[in-house]
Parts: sequence; C-alpha cells; structure tokens
Amino acid sequence: MGEVIVVTSGKGGVGKTTTTANIGAGLSMLDKKVIVIDTDLGLRNLDVVMGLENQIVYNLVDVVEGTCRLKQALIRDKRYESLYLLPSAQTRDKTAISPGQMKKLTSELKEEFDYILLDCPAGIEQGFQNAIAGADRAIIVTTPEVSAIRDADRIIGLLESSRIKDNALIINRIRMDMVKKGDMMSVDDVTEILSIPLIGAIPDDEFVVIGTNQGEPVIGMDSLAGKIYLNICKRIMGMEVPFEDLNSGRGFLARLTDIFHKN
Amino acid sequence: MLRKSSVAVAKNRLRILVTSDRVECSPGDYDNICRELYSSLSKYMELTEENFKVDICRTHILITFAGDET
Repeated sequence: MGEVIVVTSGKGGVGKTTTTANIGAGLSMLDKKVIVIDTDLGLRNLDVVMGLENQIVYNLVDVVEGTCRLKQALIRDKRYESLYLLPSAQTRDKTAISPGQMKKLTSELKEEFDYILLDCPAGIEQGFQNAIAGADRAIIVTTPEVSAIRDADRIIGLLESSRIKDNALIINRIRMDMVKKGDMMSVDDVTEILSIPLIGAIPDDEFVVIGTNQGEPVIGMDSLAGKIYLNICKRIMGMEVPFEDLNSGRGFLARLTDIFHKN
Repeated sequence: MLRKSSVAVAKNRLRILVTSDRVECSPGDYDNICRELYSSLSKYMELTEENFKVDICRTHILITFAGDET
C-alpha cells in the first residue's frame, strides 16, 4: 500500500515543483515505484522541470473526467526505472476537479505505487484543497524569508486542522555566507518558529538552476543539493541519515573569503 | 560594522506575524492576552515580567514561568 505525500508551501516560488521533481527521481533511484502528479491546474510546470513537456497527450483532468484511461495519461520517465508523471491541464482551472475526485484517484494509485507525490499549487484555495484531499503526509517547503515562513505556518495550521499531522519541513535556498553575517535566518531559526521536524535543508546551489534549465533533476548531479535531495528521500523512507554540513559544498576560495569576512 | 543584524529584525517581525495569524487577532490583542494572563496569574503566584512568557503555538498556548531561558 503506497503513501500519498503532498508537497506544499503556501507562498509561490519557493521551490515546490523542483522539490517534487527531485524527490520523485530520488525515490525511484532508491528502487521505489513513484508517480508525481502536477495538481496546479492552468499553470502546468512539473513536466517542464522534469524535461517531459514534449510527451504530454492526456492530463489529470482527462483522467478524472474519464476522457482517457489512467495508463494513457501517464508519462514514463525513461531515465529512471519506475518514475511516472501525471501532468496537469494547461487550459482548465482549479474548479475542473474536486477534492472528492482527487481522493478517489490517489486511493486507486496507492494500490500500484509506493509513493504518490502531489505538487501543490500556491495559495490556500481549491487547488490546495484538491491537493491535500487524499494526502497521508505533507512536505512543507519554505525559504528563510519572513513572508515564506509566515505562509508555511498558516499552511501547517490548515494541514493540522485537515487531519494531516505527519508534516516535515524543507528549508530551501539557504546561503551560508549570509547566515554567517547574520543577514539570513538559519535552519535553527526557521525550525524554532515553525516547530515541525526538519527533513532537509538545501543550499542555494547553482546546479539547481542548471538542472531546471536542462529539464534534469539535480539529484543525479555531483552537487551538494543533489546529495541532500537523496538524503531527504532516504529520510522519507524512514532511514536515519545525519544532516549534512552546508559549508562543505562550497569551494575552498569561498570558504577562505568567509574567514576574512568574519574579521 | 555596527549595523544590527537583519536576522534579529526578521525574527521579531515573524514572531508577531505568526502569533497574530495563529489566534486570528491583531498584535495588540496578543499584548492584551499576555497582560490579562499576567495579572490574573499574579494573584496566585510571584510573577515578574522577566520570568513570565506566553507562547501561542498552532495548537496550544504555552505559558512559561520562573527563570526559564526565553
């Protein structure tokens, strides 16, 4: 029996889609059968981040409305053993599907997949309600900014009141040089305010930008962000993995300038 | 550089925002809640403003009393 995990944040632009794509790829690298679903109706993006935009025939709304069978809409990511994408509909809006329909769909998918990852739209309207309807647990993505953390707190409150209590936090785009100067909230600062368990802290890594440019997950690349995503996947599977040292990914020269900045 | 770290400012703003979001009240109401709790509890125990702290969490209200590190 699979697990349904919603990746959500409240605020837009914090990295939900990139996170979903990388965790999806990572879990399938760890021999799990994974499906990622883009639930952002009208603003389809997950396919682009994954580099599968040219293979779309049917979409989530087609499946829910019965225009096609589920199998016809699934796009297999050939770079991985068992990773599938169910894309969103670009020409429909949030009202095209209901929370009840999403719940039915995810419970069917649980029979066949180990993990069902839902890329949630920004906001707290119907798109959010659809995405969380069938979720067993949630991953909340935030960045070390006041507005993003405030929204994350609201989202966690809404999840808790919707009986989703198994929540884990990803803090994205951390810049250690700024943290050291006291100009960016640290991982500890953020977890203290949100008080939910941390599952990963990802540095602002240029490989992530390169990956999205090319439609490739950073998880396959030899980069700190890639390694951290893989560890996040292991933690999702229940393994105990020590947290990474975010400084180690930076070059010798960058670390040397940090030393001078301190003085 | 004697500039105040911007993180301290951010954390302070965030704490006020998050607290008023959680109880769906204004920051001023939060101050009133704290003041009223302080005045009613101080009838029964020795309180000072230093050893009394009210934290509004998402699911409960936490009142910290006496010498605890804040």
